[in-house]
Amino acid sequence: MNVSYSQKEEKFREEIIEWLRENTPAEIKDQTLGGSTLDPELLIKWHKTLYKKGWIAPEFPKELGGTGFNITEQFIFNYEYSRYGAPRLKTKLMSVGMLAPLLLQFGSKEQQERFIPDMLSGKTIWCQGFSEPNAGSDLASLKTNADLEGDNFILNGQKTWTSMADHANWIFMLVRTDSSGRKQEGISFLLADLNSPGITIRPIEAINDHEPFCEVFFDDVKVPKENLVGKINEGWNLARALLGHERLNAFPIGEVIYALETVHDNAKKNIYKGKPLIEDESFRRKLALLEVDCYSLLSTFLRTLSQLKVGSAPGPEASFLKVYGGELYQRVMDLNIEAIGPYGQSWYNLDELDNSVHQATMGWINSRSLTIWGGSSEIQRTIIATQVLNLPRK
Amino acid sequence: MDFELTSEHLMLKESAASFIKKDHSFDRIRELKNDPLGFSKDLWKKMADLGWMGFIFPEEYGGLELDYGYVMVLLEELGKGLLPEPWISSVLLGGNLILSGGTDSQKKEILPKIISGDLFVTAAYLEDNGRYDLNYCSTSATKKDGKFSISGKKIFVLDGCSADKIIVSVRTSGSTSDNDGITLLLIPKNANGITKTPIKTMDGRKTCMLELKDVSASEDDIIGNPDDGYSLLSDAVDKAAAGLCAEMIGGMNTSIDLTVSYLSEREQFGKAIGTFQSLQHKAADMLIQKELATSALYYAIASIDSNSKDTPSAISIAKAKCSSAFMEITKIAIQLFGAYGFTNESDISLFIKRAKVCEILFGDVNYYLDRLASLKGY
Repeated sequence: MNVSYSQKEEKFREEIIEWLRENTPAEIKDQTLGGSTLDPELLIKWHKTLYKKGWIAPEFPKELGGTGFNITEQFIFNYEYSRYGAPRLKTKLMSVGMLAPLLLQFGSKEQQERFIPDMLSGKTIWCQGFSEPNAGSDLASLKTNADLEGDNFILNGQKTWTSMADHANWIFMLVRTDSSGRKQEGISFLLADLNSPGITIRPIEAINDHEPFCEVFFDDVKVPKENLVGKINEGWNLARALLGHERLNAFPIGEVIYALETVHDNAKKNIYKGKPLIEDESFRRKLALLEVDCYSLLSTFLRTLSQLKVGSAPGPEASFLKVYGGELYQRVMDLNIEAIGPYGQSWYNLDELDNSVHQATMGWINSRSLTIWGGSSEIQRTIIATQVLNLPRK
Repeated sequence: MDFELTSEHLMLKESAASFIKKDHSFDRIRELKNDPLGFSKDLWKKMADLGWMGFIFPEEYGGLELDYGYVMVLLEELGKGLLPEPWISSVLLGGNLILSGGTDSQKKEILPKIISGDLFVTAAYLEDNGRYDLNYCSTSATKKDGKFSISGKKIFVLDGCSADKIIVSVRTSGSTSDNDGITLLLIPKNANGITKTPIKTMDGRKTCMLELKDVSASEDDIIGNPDDGYSLLSDAVDKAAAGLCAEMIGGMNTSIDLTVSYLSEREQFGKAIGTFQSLQHKAADMLIQKELATSALYYAIASIDSNSKDTPSAISIAKAKCSSAFMEITKIAIQLFGAYGFTNESDISLFIKRAKVCEILFGDVNYYLDRLASLKGY
């Protein structure tokens, strides 16, 4: 067993940090924690910079416009990218991160060629249409209907909590194509152009005063049948495969370490009883405890990486990287806002106060979503109990 | 970057597991509770015959010169069965001190006997009012006619009653909490002026209070350099703590297995209680905690084996994480077992007691948090 990167990997790591140092515009650096308030136009510009460098898809092979990084290099890239304080790329989260691997596994050659290059270049921005008002944790009870009439599906229904829909031009979605059997059967996976007639998008103002997600209404919307991915009525398999793709990249571990270092900085800057807060015995212990948990989580990622590298399937620890990571991130954000004392009550004040204040307060409120989206912590724990520990279901 | 066990590691895992299955049971732990020694010398000898005591020692002293991956694998298996045999004290604590600080003749005399299972060595370093600090040392060693005369008291000496030789930390210069000025002296169990008071611990094992009154030792009994014992001690206690983490991971594994079986079998309201979500979620938490602790341990062991300068930090993280995870897991387990978990008849009751002792042994969570903060410069 060995904890060091090889010389080649170490050199690769340094190159990435060096490039980020030289190329990350100041206005988008250190916006990670409060990320949802970053101007989408700036993000799209940054997306294109990374695309030009050839780094927009570290997980992809070269022939598909990716980097050709091996699995360790992918991990190093993603980790150092986040840790540097470069912004979350919401512009590719849904496309390169989720849809593209599905298209590669289930899509036709035409679909791959038609959609993947544009998502890499940033020309198309994708959003995900899974949740509905009555289909949240119980996703399979979704009702948005798609009837096949001639060469088109006709869509009627509503999706909700659709992030980025107001900036996206395409949506990938789960729709009901058959209601006769079990609810998991009769679901299909469709791609729809958001400019199609009959689509209405209504932004929902989120708890952070921004509009990061939307309701999307479908009223007799025509979707050509060649936009079906995989087979009709087998969309549930694609949704499940998506969870499989999430694994190692499901949770930005580099961001946790970045956030932890932010707490360090704030605790050094803020003074308590004449000394930096970090020297206060009780604060110091709280921080050290988070450090123990954050580095244990990082080691868990490294363990999983080590297994993937030798080609073995990840063990049970991979199943909770997201659930534990989300909860830990929340604890880091709790301590971060505690570190800035009275400034922790600030709301925006972007011009009046230091950026670190906005990052701390926005990061804190945003972190509440981490245990809700993509399968709530309760759903995840039920999955761990029944599928990993094999406890009886009934 | 490599956290994979080799096929040789896995072979050891298998042979240790089958040995324990054949020669050990939880009832043996219940029986040993009233045994003055607290473990079986016969079993110890069998373990020695398998070469287990020689893992970390060089071949010239009869050892196998293996990496700490083997230590981890073995101790995890011992921990699954809660075996009380003094592997950690004799090999990782006493053995390591001799290995890193002993002269060639001390090594030649002692290490082969540790490896053959014929000699037990431990270390005595904790004192009242010092909590877990290794630098807190008020035991005096005044020098007269070339001889040390040692007086003081050491507390909770691990396997101290059964040890044939004890390495005692003494203050030879500086003041009570200085890192410098601590000397390690090797003292035989029957030296004049030694009083041992056996102290039972919660898990049924035996430790002892050691009082020293004008105990005599010579220059030849020094382990390492005079006044320079702290770093040796710190390194050995780190290795022992890393080994204990592996033992704790084993304990966590069995605690989870026992609990999952119980939840699947025990019926109330007409169905297995493991079908209830509130219980399922607690069980999921047990697994999450164990896996994180396992990762922290892997990182610490890999740090030792790659001679990383961050090893003390990695071990501090592992010990804090394993201690709190083992405690948390066994607390949940007792709750999920209900009244049965509160009986001595239940095997799970053995694990929560062991978890509490492990949490305290070599330093509690706060001790390692403070140490980690210092090591990281804040």
